[in-house]
Amino acid sequence: MISSSYAGRGCDMRLALVGFGTVGQGVAEAVAMKKDLVFDRFGTELKIVAAFDSLTYAAEPRGLKPLELVARKQSGKGLGKTRPKSVAEMLRELDYDVLVEVTPTNIENAEPGYTNIRTALECCRDVVTSNKGPLALKYRTLDDLSKKNGVELRFEATVGGATPIINLSRELLMAEKVDSMKGILNGTCNFILSRMGEEGLPFEYVLKEAQEMGYAETDPTYDVDGIDSASKLAILANAIMGLDVTYHDVRRTGIRRITQEAVELAAREKKVIRLIGEVNGGGIEVSPRMVPLGHPLAISGTLNVLHMHTDLAGSITVVGRGAGRKETASAIMSDLVGLLKRNACLLNGRVK
Amino acid sequence: MRVNVDLRLKDVPGQLIRALEPISMNEGNIVGVVHNHDLVTGGRISVNVTFEHKDQKTLDAIFSAWRERGVEVVKMGEIFRTFAAEYLIAGDLPHSALRKITEGIESMEGVETIDLQYSLSTSTSNKTVLLLVNVRNKAKVNEIDEYLKTRSESDDFLLIRGTGV
Repeated sequence: MISSSYAGRGCDMRLALVGFGTVGQGVAEAVAMKKDLVFDRFGTELKIVAAFDSLTYAAEPRGLKPLELVARKQSGKGLGKTRPKSVAEMLRELDYDVLVEVTPTNIENAEPGYTNIRTALECCRDVVTSNKGPLALKYRTLDDLSKKNGVELRFEATVGGATPIINLSRELLMAEKVDSMKGILNGTCNFILSRMGEEGLPFEYVLKEAQEMGYAETDPTYDVDGIDSASKLAILANAIMGLDVTYHDVRRTGIRRITQEAVELAAREKKVIRLIGEVNGGGIEVSPRMVPLGHPLAISGTLNVLHMHTDLAGSITVVGRGAGRKETASAIMSDLVGLLKRNACLLNGRVK
Repeated sequence: MRVNVDLRLKDVPGQLIRALEPISMNEGNIVGVVHNHDLVTGGRISVNVTFEHKDQKTLDAIFSAWRERGVEVVKMGEIFRTFAAEYLIAGDLPHSALRKITEGIESMEGVETIDLQYSLSTSTSNKTVLLLVNVRNKAKVNEIDEYLKTRSESDDFLLIRGTGV
């Protein structure tokens, strides 16, 4: 049974893009860049039929011009008209196939992402998101709702940016039982810890450097206190290991208190310090750990890495770029293509 | 338990098998065999065997089988495999607090050695210490992990563990 109206060649895949900051603009650019490839492969026109930022919106059933939206946004004019009601209310009225929800993560109450995603799922629309809040806090509710309504909720972009972690585990490694995972899920912390180790610089200094280079926010709490890593770990534990946890279940220690002396003592033992998220039979935790030099988890710079242990395949490690406009857009595109592949399969392989 | 023995066998064919059979017959696991062909004393050659056995009963059975088969045991020693666990501790810790932490670990059964290393430089008033612990089994590492996690919360120090054994 195909619930989607966009299944099959000659159909449009109509996107409602909610959130038009860095990630939203990256998605619009990726749609412009990849629409021909998608058409060649699936015979489907990828169209943005509605786009929202925090105050304004633009809607056009025949499709908006993605690059014009980006230019308008960057000129400071907003996307079009001022929004007359809430995004959720408009999502109930608009005609679209997939909600692409890329508003910023809110780990306090998951809003506005949670209401937007829930509304789309209630309206039997597929959802693709990069927003960690709703999944780190309400994973089961949203997962149950999507299953009940026969639609998909895809969220590759929430963890590891361009690194294919969730889709790899849920699709290619479907027959595996993942019994433990360990990884570096925050590029900012990894950049800071790498610099501390390689240059012998103190935490505060490297943090400032990271802020100047645009790797860390003005308020770095979310990254350096392990909140971002803990949210991602909770999402992975639910999505890959089938657990029922939220961000609040993750035991969390950040990297603020790591001293130069700690880095130096670890180096004496041929080890580096990294902020590691780990989930196994013993619990779920984000904390700084000592990793032997040369170990797959001893990566440097802003990279992300996930090391999984499964019953059949044994150890699998995935490394890639964790955050950024293009990287997140890449993950969103992989989810959109995933939806098209599902539709193509349901239509008995009419794909070229 | 892992055991290392020096055996003396008659220098005739088939003796090595006769010496190793009792180990496998009694559910032992042979880890290594060193056959010293050139070390012949009184017509016997020396073989060094390392094996794991289940309990004292099976070890006794292996020894009695060797006696019956004319295999001489000249030396035996127990070998303990140890697991190393490393921790970095950073915080405003007086010596008394550090001593309490190490005493807590020392009092645990199966802890072989504890080594404390201090950093040579200090950028803050905080102390950073590397704690190296050797234990008899893996489960003990988890026990120390939990002990230190609890202490780090109650004494407010930063704990940095290794990534596992």
